[in-house]
Amino acid sequence: MQWKDTGWIQMVFLLGMIFMILLNIKRAKGTKELYIRRIAGLNAIDEAIGRSTEMGKPVLMVPGIGDLNAISIQALNIFAYVTRTAARFANPIRICIANPAVYTVAQEIISDVYQKEGLGDRYDPDSVRFVSDRQFAFAAGVSGIIHREQTAATFFLGEFFAESLIFAETANSIGAIQVASSTETTQTPFFIAACDYVLIGDEFYAASAYLSREPVLVGSLVGQDWCKIAVIGLIIGGFITNSIEQPKMLKDEESGKMRYLKREERLIYRIFHPEVDQEKEAK
Amino acid sequence: MATNDPTPRSFGQRLQSLSRQTVYLILIIVVSASVLISKFMGLTLPNKPGAGSQDFFAAIMAIPEGSTVFIQSDVTNSTRGESAGQFEALLRILMRRNIKFAVFCASGEPQAPQVAIDVIARINAQRIANGERAYERWNDWVSLGLFPDGRATAKAMMANLRTAIDKKDTPPGKPPTDVWQSPVMEKLKVIDDIGLYILVTASKTSDILVERLKFAPVTYGDVPLRTKLGCMVTGVMGPETNNYYRSSQIFGVVIGLNGAVEIEHLMENGIKPGQSETYRSLSIEGFKGMQNYARGMAYYLALHTAMGLLIVLVIMGNVGMWLTRRQTGGGA
Amino acid sequence: MNWLFLAQAETPEYNFWNGAPGSPALLTKVVIALLVGIGIMIALMFAPTRLRRPLVALATFVAGGFWMASTFWPTAPDAVTEGRNASEKVAIFLKDVTSVVADFSNVLTAFLLGLGIYSIVSVHGKRILKRQQDWSFSVVLFASIVLMAIFGYADWMDEQNRTAAVTALSPGFWNRGRDLLFDGMLQNMDAAMFSLIAFFILSAAYRAFRIRSVESTILLSTALIVMLSLMGVVVSAWDGLAGDFAGGNLKLSEISKFINSNLQTPGIQAVKFGLGIATLAMAMRIWLSLERGGLNS
Repeated sequence: MQWKDTGWIQMVFLLGMIFMILLNIKRAKGTKELYIRRIAGLNAIDEAIGRSTEMGKPVLMVPGIGDLNAISIQALNIFAYVTRTAARFANPIRICIANPAVYTVAQEIISDVYQKEGLGDRYDPDSVRFVSDRQFAFAAGVSGIIHREQTAATFFLGEFFAESLIFAETANSIGAIQVASSTETTQTPFFIAACDYVLIGDEFYAASAYLSREPVLVGSLVGQDWCKIAVIGLIIGGFITNSIEQPKMLKDEESGKMRYLKREERLIYRIFHPEVDQEKEAK
Repeated sequence: MATNDPTPRSFGQRLQSLSRQTVYLILIIVVSASVLISKFMGLTLPNKPGAGSQDFFAAIMAIPEGSTVFIQSDVTNSTRGESAGQFEALLRILMRRNIKFAVFCASGEPQAPQVAIDVIARINAQRIANGERAYERWNDWVSLGLFPDGRATAKAMMANLRTAIDKKDTPPGKPPTDVWQSPVMEKLKVIDDIGLYILVTASKTSDILVERLKFAPVTYGDVPLRTKLGCMVTGVMGPETNNYYRSSQIFGVVIGLNGAVEIEHLMENGIKPGQSETYRSLSIEGFKGMQNYARGMAYYLALHTAMGLLIVLVIMGNVGMWLTRRQTGGGA
Repeated sequence: MNWLFLAQAETPEYNFWNGAPGSPALLTKVVIALLVGIGIMIALMFAPTRLRRPLVALATFVAGGFWMASTFWPTAPDAVTEGRNASEKVAIFLKDVTSVVADFSNVLTAFLLGLGIYSIVSVHGKRILKRQQDWSFSVVLFASIVLMAIFGYADWMDEQNRTAAVTALSPGFWNRGRDLLFDGMLQNMDAAMFSLIAFFILSAAYRAFRIRSVESTILLSTALIVMLSLMGVVVSAWDGLAGDFAGGNLKLSEISKFINSNLQTPGIQAVKFGLGIATLAMAMRIWLSLERGGLNS
């Protein structure tokens, strides 16, 4: 929103976060020593592909049903890694897509992966499929593919909504290994209930750094951690100032009686809602 | 789940290994029976509206007559179990209060505008049957159709409402005409001229709107609103949308089938002084004597029995695990 | 002022970027825009890879930069029309251009669907031609696409030509056909797919929700309370029994409110903070073309 409406602190904080991320990307260039904690779901990728190879069944990937945005691109980045591994073992893949824009980008990325590995002849253009842009038609189509092709490993990573459980339970019913993650917090419980491995919250974004150890990505991850520390600092700051103001009393202008501060009168609230002051001035 | 293992299974093992098909069959029977019982017995079950629904109801009851409400209806029939009940209750209130509305979809869901129009036709048919005035397209409400890119549309509405909406609708007896000539839209110039902006959704379009729309605070009657954005969402989206309600970024939230019943309950009983958690002294009359309990209440018994079945099955599974563990000395 | 031929608040309704519906001027503009678009696409296809990358990076930067600017640039007050300073002029320009860019975005989104349809035709067309397994389903798919398109379009045309205001319920061959396909079949199949979730939640919960640890016990207990709180009959009975005991805090509605407000909401907010920051980092990497994963590898 416009900084004049919502206050300068949001703008400064956002710019501060951007600065921290870019600074760490710059710092990380040239080093590969940074530590990233173990993420079980990502360690399972090789295991899942290995099992598919043994069974001679395809690996299924779905990058959610969202638009072409940071989330679907991140999902495709992870799928590029999965595809690379699958291509080396000559394992068939299926990528089912619900958005035409994501479909075009996915085709480029996947064909690029095969070309880079020198395995262009193994690339099947129909392995990347646009199924439908209608949520439940897509759910039905993907469930059909899971059943018909008896996929041995499934990766559901991206923006999932109500279809998450349909996919997860269908794949579970045929005994496929499942690695899943939804950026929608409301869908994560469904994946946890039905899948083998689940990436929770921003683990999804950490995946490409974890898999590739690319300095830019690892640096960005460190920058994100700095940002989280800043957010925690802000929360603690808010907690302290609110606690100090809690017992404070002032004289009510209308009734003349002593009263506690209203929520709108507290420091943190006023910083984030400067329009309250503007309204007073206007009066 | 079901195995071909010939060794006889213990009671504990049986308890935790019901086949999928059995579980599904039980659910079908339980839910169907509940819906039928509700339909034929006309049950009205008790309900206690939460703060989110109370605030939502308070706002739509406080908005001045003749205002224009924007309804972004991004739902299709797939979530009709929850969304249709909410949407119908909303429409009934707006029509009873003579509030004009513009309905549209901004989530790239091409089916949604038609679904909304069909629901309006259904409610209108009921109104005519009850001897009430039919709500007339063009003069009382307009359909703005589909906006494929919700993000860009919200930003465009914020920047310039007039240029963001470049649509036509059909006046009575005339060919399709620019919607800005309709009595519903003609007074609107900027986004703050809208009475309320209500989102009916089954996905995360609430995020998109909260991030992009900004309304000046307003007071309708005894109800001060920090924003004009309110949401009706499915049960699954409830917890996430509740965040925005808790931080006053939306004026109210109606969640799932339970929320639909809450609104119907409020339509029947209103809000009595001391009942509202947000506005302590607020008093709102309901629509006593009119048809208030409808689609929400029709499925409320089924919600009870389905939840009950879920709880029973989880308990069964756990008891089965406990029995098996006891039998095998903790090694199950 | 009228930068880039855009409509200002005072200028006429139609400008360089739009035109009256059905007018020859609009048609000409559409044709020119299509030709320019196709020209750019062909030029990009033949451009050397070395040039293509910076071009894509530049386009990404400009597009992202616009939305950044439109979000963070201070707005200008609408009331003041004379003597605007430079900042206010930029604000007005950004405000005007937003609708045009939003239209670009809407048109692009609609056009991209064509690519998706191409994929469907390619996959299923091959299946039919080669008589692969289950090819008959592909025939059903094509028949559905064609029928829905014909009836949908014909009904819409019918509606445009009709003068009566009542549209949704008025009968007619195309309208009846569309109703059968859209309301009778598609909508119900959609609803049927969604209703599967109820079955799957039940089987997943039955299979997975086991009390194996302290954490799972806490999780299951809170889930039980929240589920019970959605059942009005249970809430009513429980709250009646609990009465004002312990300050009314033992009422089911109060306990579930505590769980929602003090446990669930902060938990979700914490996850969302992490997600938000990570999305910001990812967006920065894409905007500045720093991403070296699948896209630029």
